[in-house]
Amino acid sequence: MIKFLTQFGRYFLLLKKVFSRPEKPYIYYKQTMHELVYLGFYSVGIVSIISFFMGAVITLQTAYNTENPIYPTYLIGLGCRDSIILEFSSTISALILAGKVGSNIASEIGTMRVTEQIDALEMMGVNSASYLILPKIIATLLFFPILTLLSICVGILGGWLAGTSAGVITSENFIYGIQYAFIPYYITYSLIKTVVFAFIITSVSSFQGYYVDGGSLEVGRASTKAVVFSSVLILLFNVVLTQLLLS
Amino acid sequence: MISVRHLEKWFDDNHVLNDISVTFETGKTNLIIGRSGSGKTVLLKSIVGLHEVDSGEIWFEDVLFNKLNFTEKKKIRKEMGMLFQGSALFDSLTVEQNIQFPLDMFTDNTQEEKIERVNFCLNRVNLINANNLFPSELSGGMKKRVAIARAISLKPKYLFCDEPNSGLDPPNAILIDALIKEITEEYLITTIVNTHDMNSVIEIGENIVFINEGSICWEGNKNEILHSDNEILNDFVFANALAKKLRNPLK
Repeated sequence: MIKFLTQFGRYFLLLKKVFSRPEKPYIYYKQTMHELVYLGFYSVGIVSIISFFMGAVITLQTAYNTENPIYPTYLIGLGCRDSIILEFSSTISALILAGKVGSNIASEIGTMRVTEQIDALEMMGVNSASYLILPKIIATLLFFPILTLLSICVGILGGWLAGTSAGVITSENFIYGIQYAFIPYYITYSLIKTVVFAFIITSVSSFQGYYVDGGSLEVGRASTKAVVFSSVLILLFNVVLTQLLLS
Repeated sequence: MISVRHLEKWFDDNHVLNDISVTFETGKTNLIIGRSGSGKTVLLKSIVGLHEVDSGEIWFEDVLFNKLNFTEKKKIRKEMGMLFQGSALFDSLTVEQNIQFPLDMFTDNTQEEKIERVNFCLNRVNLINANNLFPSELSGGMKKRVAIARAISLKPKYLFCDEPNSGLDPPNAILIDALIKEITEEYLITTIVNTHDMNSVIEIGENIVFINEGSICWEGNKNEILHSDNEILNDFVFANALAKKLRNPLK
């Protein structure tokens, strides 16, 4: 328990350092642009692939479970849309990104720690926590919502392609279904969750990397911990946010 | 000048530095020597503020460094350059960007002025046409030279070197030692070098502090170290076979 509280305290002390005033805003801006490409843009591929197949499977499973004449077939499109917007695009994408981006951040910062690059920054009088972590947090907060919107679009596209190709729904019915009883607030809900998840992934992974002590083995462990802790927190906050935003 | 007074440092139950008091003079290469695990690196990192000390004083000229807050320390840190054991170059930056980094962070120079300073520093460490290489493309000796170039880019008053020639072959090690000595004398810097390389001791040891189990065991210079009666020091100095053979004629 004491260890948990110590880590909790260290996490918030690190965040305090991260959100202190930047020394040279222009350099932070350049770093943020770099991270937008590195952490955000380079994740477009994986998010698109996963979303496409996720949408396809949701459509086929919904069709399989609603194989009853009393259900109109456009409900398959509606089910696909709501499942993707409400849950899959934000939460599943976040879990995937926790693996890809989280492990990347933890190992990058952890390696910088064990090779004394963070000490070198501190020696120069640079706030290493802020310089290394703040641009990553800003970049993910800005780009992950774009990834979620992309994931929604690609997921629905995947559902449409799978549904029409497998002959479980016509194109007209699917398009009618995804427009039927649409609640725009669901998009807002999904984006709010994404922003929270982006912060969790980046800050928790950075924390794991920043306090690595030892060598390459510890960097590997930090990377694993980053993914595990981020994933658990994402699932926990998913429940909390769903209750808060949809109740 | 850097003065350390009654420095104490503990890691849990391990007493790493025990009542260390020493003065490092300006314009001289001051060496901290000792076995691995004797506390050399902890002492050096405590002096530069990377480790918080438990008690004692660290003076940079007339400023009590270890009692300053982060912002106040920053002013002194801009006057420090440090060469780390593993060079600690930023992997994602080229040689030029590595050396330019402190200039970007702490000066308002134009890009042309920064590049001019980068090239000057690279010339000073005898490294040309390496501007666009990444650290992974450099040899061990080249990395050390880039690290020295980065350390002197802001014209420091204090230079700290942690095992500057570890992992280098003897000719490269001699080259790095000579470079550190030249830079120290040329810019009148207070230099502290942490080493267990006896060749460095003989080459550049103008002021030597021998640390054993966290305490200062002997102080002197390169001429005195070979004639000391201190048994612990002699065990360290004449540890290898070549030194043992050379010791007899000296006696």
